[in-house]
Amino acid sequence: MAESGSGAADKSVQVKLVLLGEAAVGKSSIVLRFVSNEFQANKEPTIGAAFLTQKCRLEDRVLRYEIWDTAGQERFHSLAPMYYRNAQAAVVVYDVTKASSLEKAKSWVKELQRQANPNIVIALAGNKVDLVQPSPSASGSGSAVESEDEADDATATPGENAAAAEQPESLRQVPRDEAEAYAKEAGLLFFETSAKTGEGVVEIFTEIAKKIPIEHILASSRGTGRPGAAGRSGGAQEGGVNLEENAAKGKDACNC
Amino acid sequence: MSTISTHLRTFKEPNKEQITQLFFSVPPSLTARCEKDGLEKMEINAVLSMSAEAEEDSYAGKLHLIPPFLCFASLDRKSCRFTLPLCTIRRVERLNARAGIYALSLSLWHGMKIVVQLTSLRPTADLFCASLRDSLKAELQHGQMKAVRSFVKTCYSETLVASEAQAGEEEQEEKVAPEGTDNVETPYHGGLGLRFKFPGDPKKLREASKVKLWKTYLRTHGRNLTLLRYPQCTRLVQVGLPNRLRGEMWEVLSGSLYLRFSNPGVYEEILKENEGRTSTSTEDIEKDLHRSLPEYSAYQSEEGISALRRVLQAYSFKNPELGYCQAMNILVAALLIYMSEEQAFWLLEVVCDRLLPGYYSTSMHGTLLDQRVFESLVQKCLPIIHDHFQEVDVQLSVASLPWFLSLFINSMPMVFACRIIDCFFCMGPKVLFQVGLAILKINGEELLKIQDDGGFIQLMRSYFSSLGQSAHPHSPDPRARAITRFQELLLVSFREFSIITDDTIYSERKKFRNEIVFSIESFSKRAAIRNLKTLERFTKEQAGLIYDALYRAMCIIPPPAEVARPAPTLISDGNEEKPETRIGLRTFRVFLSEIATWARDEKIIINGFQQRVDREVAEHEFIDRLFYFWDVHCKGALSFQDLVSGLDGVMFNDLMENIEWFFNLHDKNKDGYLTKDEVLTLSESLLFIFRFEIGDAYLGAVSRFMTNAFEYGDALLPQPEGQGDSDEPPPTPGIASNQPYLNLATFRMVVLADEILESFFETDLSASFKLEPVPMMELPSSGNGFLGDLISNIATDDNKKLFNRFTDQIGRTIGKHQVIHRPAIGRFTKLEEPKARESLLTPSMRPSTSTSSLSPTDRAQSPGASTSNLSLSSDARSTTETLVQGSEMSPISIMKTANEALMERPQFAIDDALDDDTDDELGGEDDGVMDEVDAFLEAHDSGLTDEQKEVAKDLLNAKPVK
Repeated sequence: MAESGSGAADKSVQVKLVLLGEAAVGKSSIVLRFVSNEFQANKEPTIGAAFLTQKCRLEDRVLRYEIWDTAGQERFHSLAPMYYRNAQAAVVVYDVTKASSLEKAKSWVKELQRQANPNIVIALAGNKVDLVQPSPSASGSGSAVESEDEADDATATPGENAAAAEQPESLRQVPRDEAEAYAKEAGLLFFETSAKTGEGVVEIFTEIAKKIPIEHILASSRGTGRPGAAGRSGGAQEGGVNLEENAAKGKDACNC
Repeated sequence: MSTISTHLRTFKEPNKEQITQLFFSVPPSLTARCEKDGLEKMEINAVLSMSAEAEEDSYAGKLHLIPPFLCFASLDRKSCRFTLPLCTIRRVERLNARAGIYALSLSLWHGMKIVVQLTSLRPTADLFCASLRDSLKAELQHGQMKAVRSFVKTCYSETLVASEAQAGEEEQEEKVAPEGTDNVETPYHGGLGLRFKFPGDPKKLREASKVKLWKTYLRTHGRNLTLLRYPQCTRLVQVGLPNRLRGEMWEVLSGSLYLRFSNPGVYEEILKENEGRTSTSTEDIEKDLHRSLPEYSAYQSEEGISALRRVLQAYSFKNPELGYCQAMNILVAALLIYMSEEQAFWLLEVVCDRLLPGYYSTSMHGTLLDQRVFESLVQKCLPIIHDHFQEVDVQLSVASLPWFLSLFINSMPMVFACRIIDCFFCMGPKVLFQVGLAILKINGEELLKIQDDGGFIQLMRSYFSSLGQSAHPHSPDPRARAITRFQELLLVSFREFSIITDDTIYSERKKFRNEIVFSIESFSKRAAIRNLKTLERFTKEQAGLIYDALYRAMCIIPPPAEVARPAPTLISDGNEEKPETRIGLRTFRVFLSEIATWARDEKIIINGFQQRVDREVAEHEFIDRLFYFWDVHCKGALSFQDLVSGLDGVMFNDLMENIEWFFNLHDKNKDGYLTKDEVLTLSESLLFIFRFEIGDAYLGAVSRFMTNAFEYGDALLPQPEGQGDSDEPPPTPGIASNQPYLNLATFRMVVLADEILESFFETDLSASFKLEPVPMMELPSSGNGFLGDLISNIATDDNKKLFNRFTDQIGRTIGKHQVIHRPAIGRFTKLEEPKARESLLTPSMRPSTSTSSLSPTDRAQSPGASTSNLSLSSDARSTTETLVQGSEMSPISIMKTANEALMERPQFAIDDALDDDTDDELGGEDDGVMDEVDAFLEAHDSGLTDEQKEVAKDLLNAKPVK
């Protein structure tokens, strides 16, 4: 890679990342956990796709994730190519308590592998593991359906763990081994995550960061002149995305 | 694992009459009722005048009788218009005026008197009056007149106007200010805002002044059902509706009021009928309830949430095909702040049905189409921005899609979004495009600096959050400083992009519809193929051909709804099946006829003028047998996967596999034996496949097969003592027709004894399944402009048939009519092939109207195609083609140039626009609302000369004819 141009002055590399997966698997919650480290109630609804950014420090380089959090409803599927085109990374999310969501995830992976950027780094994330782990503070016993809604809608506060049932493992419909084997076979990064507890969320993004061919991106982005990125990052004042604030958090969160 | 939908094929462009009805917001459901009663629609030239109190000009225009409505629009289609339900007309009188003038005076429910002067020829005017009388009578009989009184009580405008009669202005202003105090038991419908406060600061919104202006207007120009829309009305809408009146005005302007009026109690009924019912839509709705304008206090309470739930659910039950689409929650949440559930329900219907058609449908084709249209408008109006976006590969839709899908509600602060929605309901969907273009234009310089999608989104976000700020913060002129960026946005929208009209949108949509349909369909095709569990031995391309045949079959015979769309699963147990499209037997027959040569009856018809292949779908028990044979999951319907697997089972077979396949197909109970009956059925199947073969060879083969089969069968019948391992009754020589009789080995032996059958099973059977490009289904309307329409109207299937019949008739009279069945296999032909048949098999001879397609194999079989015949007719075809093209091209290109010229008209600068409006008519009293009103003031041409105006004025004082 050449040392001239923007690369030296601004080490921040922009990475476009798209989140895909069935409705209600917790895509938005994962992003929210990553971007602002919270599990927030009543967040902005996703129409088409929500756009958020977050920085992630990796050795000598800072990655700036541009995250496109797509709508999960089936009828929005035909809009997805608009968001995953030119994406360098994708996180395909399924719900460990819902077997059909893995099927949908597989179909997303297939689509990405055939239609998206050929160098795309794909991570498979089985979300809502908090529902299938024995919890010390198991108090309530919500049904599976309820807890799904809860996790998606992010109506619960972070402290609550009402969903932990008597025998949490019984809620699990996707064995870790099975999903992991599939991920290996398909060449995906694999994680089990909980947007609620934060488990595994940051890891997705750091592992992706390690796997992304950064030199390649730098080389290709030089042509279009990246330095505008710094100026833009001050722009977002609306909604839940305050970059200045989050950037600081992000450094902590993404300390690798 | 996927659904296949053909609904995009059924789209029809609205005709002129429908466009008129759309313009007047007349609900088609109501006009349909009157049409059934035989009430005539009619239009006539007219001049509209109003009684002096309203101080309005007279306008020339067109009066439309669209029972049960009477509508008027001025010539420019925007200055003056009304849509009056006939039941609000209390009295109609013919006026006794100057000679040669034919005028009617109409007294309306709210006491206004309007005069329409019918300026068409006398007989037309007479006819119009007669039709009007009939329609009015019919309305009276329906009892609609009585319903008006109780209905108008549900409208806030009545309370508003009445209050002015009693209370003084001071009191009124006070009444507006404290909100949510004592309005729980209002007689009129209202939104959550009455209890939970309306968004925005009422002072800043200048609510009191707006209310006052509206009160005056509504008193003199009618209200709710009888609102007459003069220029002032539009201007008042453009400066923002007052919060309390907003819901009702949305209803009135969009026409949803008429639906609520004519469907009393329906909303409650739908809720009651479906109480406790769940569906995928209701599940989706639940997920989004708490994500709909969560910052508004009502949606943090059960009251707001349950209202939202009821409206969304009721609509999903009313329109199950659409169900629920994310973004509807946001729209409804916004509506409910200003209107009651029932009002919001009917307004949602109008939005989904008429204003934003196809936006929220399962394919979201309307959304995609309008995004494409928007992009094209950007290219035309803002070419520099468009070019820059192309250059840096930024997609406009990433930002603009939510603008359109949620009417800006999710993009900008609520108070501003509401004002755009005000204009949207008043002036129609073009407003979204105008505002969208204005946003880009205002941010033009910044947009040229962005480098990627993300930068675009962020720029838009920061712009939207700054809408409340001054547009000219450094201007020395305090009036200019007071202009907010939002006001600037609206001014740019309506001044500089007034060239975007309804017609622009219609024609642009028409232009891109096929492109969008094609891309949606090829997207779902790719997805369907990708989602196959197995491609079996087919390549992806071959699977694509199978999909095409299936799709075509579904277009011709749509699968029954319950098969295509399985009942929504009630409980998501995590293992529920995905909805999957399955076809029934009737669709399957069409599908198979596309693929198997023997599954269609093809007649080659020669009549001296044309040669064509008429293809009909064959019906035979054999085809039905195949259907159930492939239905391995016994669902009574076949999925795409079933078809692929089924075809795989026969298309790659060798001799022995084919024999076995054919045997199994006829072995109904799968016990490894055919019964005597089954042997007969099998023979019939063979005869069916061979039915069009030329000569006796195949007939002979089948008859030999039957002789042999029964001979061997009888001979090889196991003796009773050798049959110890079966629980079946020991077969006797006089075996019953339904007893096991012939096993596979015997069948194979019998088949191999015959040369013809052997070759049939060796190659011909598999080869009779041909995957070949299916002729592309014609899209609903192809071509642009008027001529394109004309052609597509003429070239309907019906007309083609008519034409074919016509030429056949002539062919018969001149003795050149000839019909030849095309054989399915065509291997053993003892007869000499007729010369004409050969020429037919050449590809270029295919008549363009024909639905058939000839396979390469067919072509290979007729190498000696008569070249003279071919060249002649292909010449003829190309001539007609050029002819058609030639005549088609010129008007279109003219229209295009005209369009472009329009688009490139010089645009006004915003500052100039403001300088025009420095006159201060109303003084400080109105808090400057009127300044803003005036900003929208445009010259209104009433289309009348002074003399005509005088006549119109005179009429107001004319006496009715005795």
